[in-house]
Amino acid sequence: MDDLNQYQPFEVDQHLTAHGNYWAGRAGSRFYRALRDRRRILGSPCRNCRKVFWPPRSICTFCFSELREMVEIGPLGTVETFTLVTYAEPVHPRPAPFIYAVIRLDGADTGMAHFLDEVEYERVHVGMRVRPVFAPQRKGNILDILYFKPL
Amino acid sequence: MKRNVAIVGGGQTYHRARRHDVDQAEMVNEAVRAALKDAGMTMDEMDMVVLGNMEFFEGTHMTDCWLVHATGAYGRQGLKITTGGTVGATVVCAGAHLVASGLCDRVLCIGFEKQEEGDTGAILSGVANPLWGRSMAGAAVGYFAMMGSSYMAAWGAKEEHSAMVAVKARQNARKNKYAHLKLDITVEDVLNSRMLAWPIRMLDMCPASNGACAVILADDKTAKDRCRKPVWIRAMETAHNEQFELDWRDVKTKRPIFSKVCAGRIYGRLGVSDPKTYFDVFEIYEPATWAELVWYEDLGLCGPGEGFRLIEEGKTNIDGPIPVNPSGGVLSTNCIGASAMLRVWEAALQIRGDAGGHQVPKEVRRALTTAYGGTNWTVMIALSGALDD
Amino acid sequence: MTARETEWISIPMTVDVPYRFAAGRYLTKTLTQLRDNGRIFAVECPRCRRIQLPPRIVCAQCHVRNGRWVELPLEGTLVAFTIMFLPLTDPTTGKPHEPPFVYGSVRLDGCDSVLDHLIHAEPDRGKVWVGMRCRVVLRPPGERVGDLSDIVHFEPLPDQSRPGS
Repeated sequence: MDDLNQYQPFEVDQHLTAHGNYWAGRAGSRFYRALRDRRRILGSPCRNCRKVFWPPRSICTFCFSELREMVEIGPLGTVETFTLVTYAEPVHPRPAPFIYAVIRLDGADTGMAHFLDEVEYERVHVGMRVRPVFAPQRKGNILDILYFKPL
Repeated sequence: MKRNVAIVGGGQTYHRARRHDVDQAEMVNEAVRAALKDAGMTMDEMDMVVLGNMEFFEGTHMTDCWLVHATGAYGRQGLKITTGGTVGATVVCAGAHLVASGLCDRVLCIGFEKQEEGDTGAILSGVANPLWGRSMAGAAVGYFAMMGSSYMAAWGAKEEHSAMVAVKARQNARKNKYAHLKLDITVEDVLNSRMLAWPIRMLDMCPASNGACAVILADDKTAKDRCRKPVWIRAMETAHNEQFELDWRDVKTKRPIFSKVCAGRIYGRLGVSDPKTYFDVFEIYEPATWAELVWYEDLGLCGPGEGFRLIEEGKTNIDGPIPVNPSGGVLSTNCIGASAMLRVWEAALQIRGDAGGHQVPKEVRRALTTAYGGTNWTVMIALSGALDD
Repeated sequence: MTARETEWISIPMTVDVPYRFAAGRYLTKTLTQLRDNGRIFAVECPRCRRIQLPPRIVCAQCHVRNGRWVELPLEGTLVAFTIMFLPLTDPTTGKPHEPPFVYGSVRLDGCDSVLDHLIHAEPDRGKVWVGMRCRVVLRPPGERVGDLSDIVHFEPLPDQSRPGS
């Protein structure tokens, strides 16, 4: 088998491209319609567990009951955690640097990951109160909120 | 098996080409709730959740994590399995291992696929070696077409014979309220359908479906205390083909083929000498018509080269002596991650006598199911209505 | 429900996944020989004597290390085929193969494995058959890249006719 050593290891660079179309379903469609058409942010309450979930869902994570109701949450919220992204990745929706934060909207029990803008990074802190800036032309996806900014 | 394992409940969604009214979680949850309702159990009674689908076939990864609320796995033990078209049956095997070993008493098994959302062809091409075969990959149609040409050349079967399989599947599907392609078609219609890859026409192939299936497995005690009609898993076997040797289509090959190897093993475990009389119904994984004819032979329902005679004589019809796929099979419904589990669940329904419109009109005590997937491998599961049968 | 309430929302997405794939020593030898010398090498199992292409380090059936290299002739027999009417995209280039075309499985003489590839024959059932003799057509030297596309296609050997015709 020695003669195998005369061959330089062979490698190829390729890529796989896949297209898809994700359907948001019952709870998701209702959320995106409200965001796009009325600039309202909705969450899913579970009366059993006394929790309000974002993103909205049709099943309670904790007690498995079916959730049919939706309530308005936010639009104001509180920064729970944040970071400054300083490296570029093709999947990033914005060029670096940008501030990425988890914001708990008023009335919700779970956080929403989104951008912070119109603020110096040095000024951002946990507990900071923020409000959303909506896109003027909204399409029914999460970037209908452009970013959050301080009150 | 160290402990007996029973199917104590199950359920499925309606299978459709389009399900825009639900997201993946909502769709999976429909099957889970149906299974719990069928078993008369609650999510709290489940010790573990085993989930299966094909990675990225719907453009999403790690579905066990982000469907955790819909599968009921939150706060429980969970396991995710991906093995190709076999996945639904592999999930059932894994669940059965958990119960048989004593690790769990009740396991919820789920398989799903929302095929319309992803790029099945592109992702499937990843199965092939990038330097050896990927450039021609993504052609499941071509693979089964070659199987058809090889089968006809070897045994003298005609395109009409594969068309008969297509007709049987879709006519059976019309009796199954959950099936996707319920088509009132004739052999003529099949032969007149669009040619995809000779000898495979549009109606020779399975559809791309959205849907989910769930079954609940339990130990002896739970089954006897809680279930009116438990269906017992009597034996399970898997067998692989060798990498690069996709020789299932070469019907005269002398090589050990996964399908025959697996059938031999499972028959050996059960002491089966004549499978067509031992089992009362078969639910097999046939992504294309020609595969069904080859399955007949590989399962020993007839001799080599006689598969097309079985369909010609109507032997495998729903009211025939060897009913195969009374549900309509994969040819009528293919939500890949669910397809192999649907074979198991449909076979269990036949044994319970609960299949409804597509119930086989004879006593069904025992059933055999097959799966097919990956680069040629199978999972077979044998079921019976009584432990001493 | 109003029509507005039953509007279902979706979002399109495209995922492009780059990867680097290493052929490993066995496949490297075969691909390098194919690229540089236009020769096809397979490997033989010392126990069952099966000649395997592409070559792999272990015989899956015998679980022993494959050792002896065997050069295969560039001729073989068609064991199965299809006439493809679908425009299949080559996932490695993104370019479609224009239908109709013949696609088949060829066993090179002396080899136990088969090779799936394009068959350069008229897409006519009367002109292609199981058992047809074919030979490898390679890309010209200097244009080969070291993967299976260095084989352009198989072409039927001349002076043969379909049995029974």
